[in-house]
Amino acid sequence: MSLEQKNYLKKIRLEKIKITLSQLLIIILFLLLWEFLVNLEIISAFIYSSPSRIINTIIELISNNNFFIHIYTTLKEVIISFILGISLGFIIATILYEFKLLAKIIDPFLTMLNSLPKVALGPLIIIIFGANTKSIIIMALLINLIVSIITIYNGFQNTDEYRLKLFKTMKATKIQTLLYLVIPSSYQTIISSFKLCIAQTLIGVIMGEFLVSKQGIGYLIVYGKQVFNLNLVMTGIILLAIISYILYKLIVMLEKKLLKHI
Amino acid sequence: MNNLIEVKNLTKNYHTKEGEIEALKDINLNIQKGDIISLVGPSGCGKSTLLSLIADLDKDVFCGSVIKNDNLKIAYMLQSDALLPWLTIYENAILGLKIQNKLTKEYLDYVEYLLEFYNLKDFKDKYPKSLSGGMKQRVALIRTLALKPDLLLLDEPFSALDQQSRLLISDDVYKILKKENKTVILVTHSIEEAITFSNKVIVLSKRPAVIKSIIEINIKNNETIYERRKDINYHKYFDSIWKDLDTNES
Ligand SMILES: Nc1ncnc2c1ncn2[C@@H]1O[C@H](COP(=O)(O)OP(=O)(O)OP(=O)(O)O)[C@@H](O)[C@H]1O
Ligand SMILES: [Mg+2]
Repeated sequence: MSLEQKNYLKKIRLEKIKITLSQLLIIILFLLLWEFLVNLEIISAFIYSSPSRIINTIIELISNNNFFIHIYTTLKEVIISFILGISLGFIIATILYEFKLLAKIIDPFLTMLNSLPKVALGPLIIIIFGANTKSIIIMALLINLIVSIITIYNGFQNTDEYRLKLFKTMKATKIQTLLYLVIPSSYQTIISSFKLCIAQTLIGVIMGEFLVSKQGIGYLIVYGKQVFNLNLVMTGIILLAIISYILYKLIVMLEKKLLKHI
Repeated sequence: MNNLIEVKNLTKNYHTKEGEIEALKDINLNIQKGDIISLVGPSGCGKSTLLSLIADLDKDVFCGSVIKNDNLKIAYMLQSDALLPWLTIYENAILGLKIQNKLTKEYLDYVEYLLEFYNLKDFKDKYPKSLSGGMKQRVALIRTLALKPDLLLLDEPFSALDQQSRLLISDDVYKILKKENKTVILVTHSIEEAITFSNKVIVLSKRPAVIKSIIEINIKNNETIYERRKDINYHKYFDSIWKDLDTNES
């Protein structure tokens, strides 16, 4: 390796370290500032809680054996809704791609559903399906499914024209074209739809938990609000932020693995 | 008659919302085994349309007929290499075989031979993004030849390449086409390519394409493109093709 190449690599590594350090610094400064402002009573501890209070709340939750149950409940709902959302989205997008006429017919309805604020349907869902996990998952599905369908379908539609023609010249069947060409060339979009879908799923699940209120992080937040324990509310929010970040990162890792050659 | 393909009174109109587009008008053409035919004509005149009709790709209506043996194997090569970036070079090369369920030893051995011939053996397990434009186009050619077609349709196969790769690859292609006595229709914008490749050059008019003239190329020395270019009649052919193309513009 030449000296220039070494220097170049070093520069990249240095930049990466700089970025990570700055990010850590921002978090630490933010937490410290928060703690101090509350301790100096510049902002209200009752409303804004504080990092130390949040840690205490977590410890309390753990010692009451409540902590993992809530996280587990929310995670379970998120994962089920996510997997259902992307697989149904994928299947429906495939059907729409194969039957273009159907796609044209239902296009305005999809658009309408997409822009409808799904939370408005919440009360209806609970009346129909009861105040239980099922309602939460349906709530989340309503929110994530439309986005998954639309993104994946658009990905399919963007398949390179020349490659489609190539498959036509080789007399490929519809199924072959789908399996060997349309789906693989949409990997990128499919992964992007995962990213959108996970964000939407979290919104749906938390919304569902707000409405159903039995267990989970959404429940923690609602409960905290009802008993005016805002430490609990803040703890819920922080936990959510951490969980959504981790889920997102997992998808990015999957993306790196799948898209190595593209 | 040993015609491989007979094109009779072929007329094709495209229908679009904006109106009707006449692409081909009364085309008559005979292709014999071993022919290498070049199609030249102004852009948008209907050359690709003619190839699609011969290859049976167009399921819409057209008038006239393309008469050919039912089990005639036709392979088509496009201007873009259209390689699939998620497959290795080898997987790309055998894509057509995989689609047509022809992954037999005979065909696969032939692919090996072609990879060897085009010096691509060392790149078998690489991905397309690590290849140059010329190499990618060679892989696309192998993918086409692998099907052992009776008729090869080449639609501006070299036009996306730079001049140097273009000369190199056309040399290679010419050699293998001659060696295997392939029947070929080549669409090209280069008069030079048309003369050096073929035994017949068909000049099409601007849209709707009618056959303007068919020029027979008689060059004795057939070994390489390079030698063909040095033929004494080269300029004579060039001029007459140019003249026929040129009158279209006015
Ligand atoms: N599917 C289609 N629908 C409507 N019009 C079409 C279609 N395909 C081609 N055309 C039109 O028909 C005419 C001939 O097209 P074609 O692609 O055969 O020309 P070409 O000679 O191959 O052109 P080029 O030199 O640019 O490759 C063009 O005017 C084109 O716009
Ligand atoms: Mg064309």
